[in-house]
Amino acid sequence: MDIFHNLFYGFTIALQPINLLFCFFGTVLGTLIGVLPGIGPIGTISMLLPATFHMSPTSAIIMLAGIYYGAMYGGSTTSILVNIPGEAASVVTCLDGYEMAKRGRAGPALGIAAFGSFIAGTLGVVGLMIFATPLAAVALKFGPPEYFGLLLFGLTLVTYLSRGSMIKALMMGAFGLILSCIGLDSIQASPRMTFNIMELWDGVGLVPVAMGLFGISEVLINIEQTETSEILKTKIKSFFPTVVDWIQSKGAILRGTVLGFFFGLLPGGNPVIASFLSYGLEKRISKEPERFGKGAIEGVAGPESANNSATSGSFIPLLTLGIPSNVVMALMFGALLIHGMRPGPFLLKDHPDLFWGVVSSMYIGNVMLLILNLPLIPMWVQVLKIPYRILFPLIILFCIVGAYSLNNSTFDVVVMMIFGVFGYLFRKFEFEGAPLMLAFVLGPMFETNLRQSLLFSKGSFLIFFNRPISAVFISIAILLLITSVLPYFKKVKEKYEVST
Amino acid sequence: MLRRDLLAGLFWLGISIFVCMESVRMDVGAFHSPGPGFLPFWSALILGTLSILLMVTSILRKKWERGIMNLWKGLEWNKVLWVLFSLFLYPVVLPIAGYLITTFGLMAFLLCIMKRSKVWIMGMSALAIALISYVIFYTLLHVKFPNGIFGF
Repeated sequence: MDIFHNLFYGFTIALQPINLLFCFFGTVLGTLIGVLPGIGPIGTISMLLPATFHMSPTSAIIMLAGIYYGAMYGGSTTSILVNIPGEAASVVTCLDGYEMAKRGRAGPALGIAAFGSFIAGTLGVVGLMIFATPLAAVALKFGPPEYFGLLLFGLTLVTYLSRGSMIKALMMGAFGLILSCIGLDSIQASPRMTFNIMELWDGVGLVPVAMGLFGISEVLINIEQTETSEILKTKIKSFFPTVVDWIQSKGAILRGTVLGFFFGLLPGGNPVIASFLSYGLEKRISKEPERFGKGAIEGVAGPESANNSATSGSFIPLLTLGIPSNVVMALMFGALLIHGMRPGPFLLKDHPDLFWGVVSSMYIGNVMLLILNLPLIPMWVQVLKIPYRILFPLIILFCIVGAYSLNNSTFDVVVMMIFGVFGYLFRKFEFEGAPLMLAFVLGPMFETNLRQSLLFSKGSFLIFFNRPISAVFISIAILLLITSVLPYFKKVKEKYEVST
Repeated sequence: MLRRDLLAGLFWLGISIFVCMESVRMDVGAFHSPGPGFLPFWSALILGTLSILLMVTSILRKKWERGIMNLWKGLEWNKVLWVLFSLFLYPVVLPIAGYLITTFGLMAFLLCIMKRSKVWIMGMSALAIALISYVIFYTLLHVKFPNGIFGF
C-alpha cells in the first residue's frame, strides 16, 4: 500500500506542467537521437548536462531519463528501415527487422518494436518501483568494505561484458581509475598529477571527457566514411502487427522484459548487452531457429523489449546504492551531484519527490513514446534524410558550447577536444570507452572506500573477506577474471599438445 | 609493418611508467596507511602489466594483423585532420574574436569540408547557425560567452 501511496505522490509531481513539458521534450529528443545514426544518448545527455543547471533536479532527471529510454524507442526505426542502428542497443534489430522490411512488413516490424518497448518499459518501471525500496534498506548496511566489493564487482563485470578484447577493456578501466585521481587528493588535499595547471585542481571534468570520448569521436569516425546509406523504399501500410505476430511475439516480449530488467540492474549491465542476450535466447529456444536472420518477428520483439526494460532496471543501482551501472547512469550520477544530491540509499529517504517523481514520469513517458513513435514515423523518415554534412557541425557546436558553459572556460573545451582525439584513436585501435568512463566515475568512491577500509583494518585485506557481502562480490569478481583468462590458457595448452 | 596492438601496448606502457613515477613522488604510502599515490600507483602497475601482455599476444599472434596505415585506408582521414585543426583553433580565437565571429568562421569551415556548395549558401547557413545558437545559448540559457575585441 505504501508503494501506491508513494506512486500517487510521484504522479502529483510528474503531472506538474513543467515536468510534463520536460518529459515530453526528453522523450521527443531521445526518439530523434535514437533515429539519427551518428549521435546517441550518451553524447546527447553529456551535451545537455550543462543546460540542466537552471532546472530543478527532478525536472533535470525526468528530461535526461526521457532521452535515455526515448532513444531505445527511436533506434529501431533506422535499424528496420535503413539497416543502420540508430544507436547501439538496436544493432541486433537490424538482423530481422530489415529483413521484415524487405519483405514488405516494415509496418508490423515497427509496430511490434514500439508495442514491445512500451510493454517492457512499463513493466520495467513496475519492477523499479518494487525493488528500489527494499534494496535501499539493504544498502544502509553497507560500509566501506561492502561498497568497495560492489564497485570492484561492477568494474570487473563491465570489462568482462565488453564486446572487444578483455585485456583492452581492463586497460581502459585502469586508465579510467588513473584519470579519476587527477586533482586534489580527497583525504590529504594534496594536488595529484595537476602539472601546475590550476584548472586541474578540481580534477578532469566528467562532461568534457564524456562529450569528447563519445560525441566528438563519433563525429570524427563518421566524417571520414565515404559510404552513404539509402532508406528502403517501401510503403508502410499499417503499423499494427497481426494476431499471428502477437502470438509469435508475446513470449519474446515477456522474456526480453525480464532479461533486460535484471541485466540492467547489475553493475556493468546495459541495454546493448541485454538486447544481444535476448536475441541469442530467442534463437536458442525457438523451434525454428533457421527463421532468425530472415525476418523472424521474435528477433525484433525480444531485443527491443530487453533494451527498454534494461533502462528501467539500470536506475535501481544508481538511485538506491549510488552506483551507476553504465555510462548513461554515470552521467545521471554526475547530474545529481551537480544539483547537490548524493545518489544512494539516503536519496529515497531525503528526496522522495525526486525518486517517485522520476518513476511516475517514466510511466507517462512510455505512453508518450507509444503515441509519438508510430504516427510520427513518416516524420522520422524525413529526419533521416538530413545530410550528415549539415548535422555534424551542429553536433560539434553543441558539444563546444556545452563544455564551455560548465565553467565559462575554454580549458574544458580543450579537454573535450583532447578526449575527442583519444576517443577517435581508441576506436581505431579497438579500445572501448565504456570501461574507461565507468572507472573514471566510480574511481573517487572506489579509492575512498578502499583507503578507509585499509585504514580501519590496519592494512589487512582480510577485511574484505571477513564481511559476507564484500566477500561475495569480490569472489565473483575474481571468478569472472579467472573465467575470462581460462579460454586463453586452454588454447595455449591445445597448441602445445598439437605441436608435441 | 608495425602492428597495431604492439604500438598501443608501447604507448600504454609509457603512460604506466610515467604514472608510477609520479605516484612515487606523491607518496604511495603503505597498506596500513595508503597515501595519495596509492591508487594511481597500483592502477598504473596493472595498466603496465596488461600492456606488456598485449604486446606479447600481438607478437605471438600468427594471424595477420592490420598494420597502422591500413586503419585509414580508403577513408577520408584528411577531413578528420582539418576538423581537428579547426576545433583546436576555436578556443584560441574565441576570447579574441568573440562567440559570433568565431562560431561563424567555424561553421563555415566545417560546412566547406564535407561538400562544396555555393559560397553564399554556406555563408548564410553558417551565419544563421551562429545567430540562432547565440540567441538560444546566450539569451535563453544564459551562457556567458566572451565578447572579444569587437564587444560581441
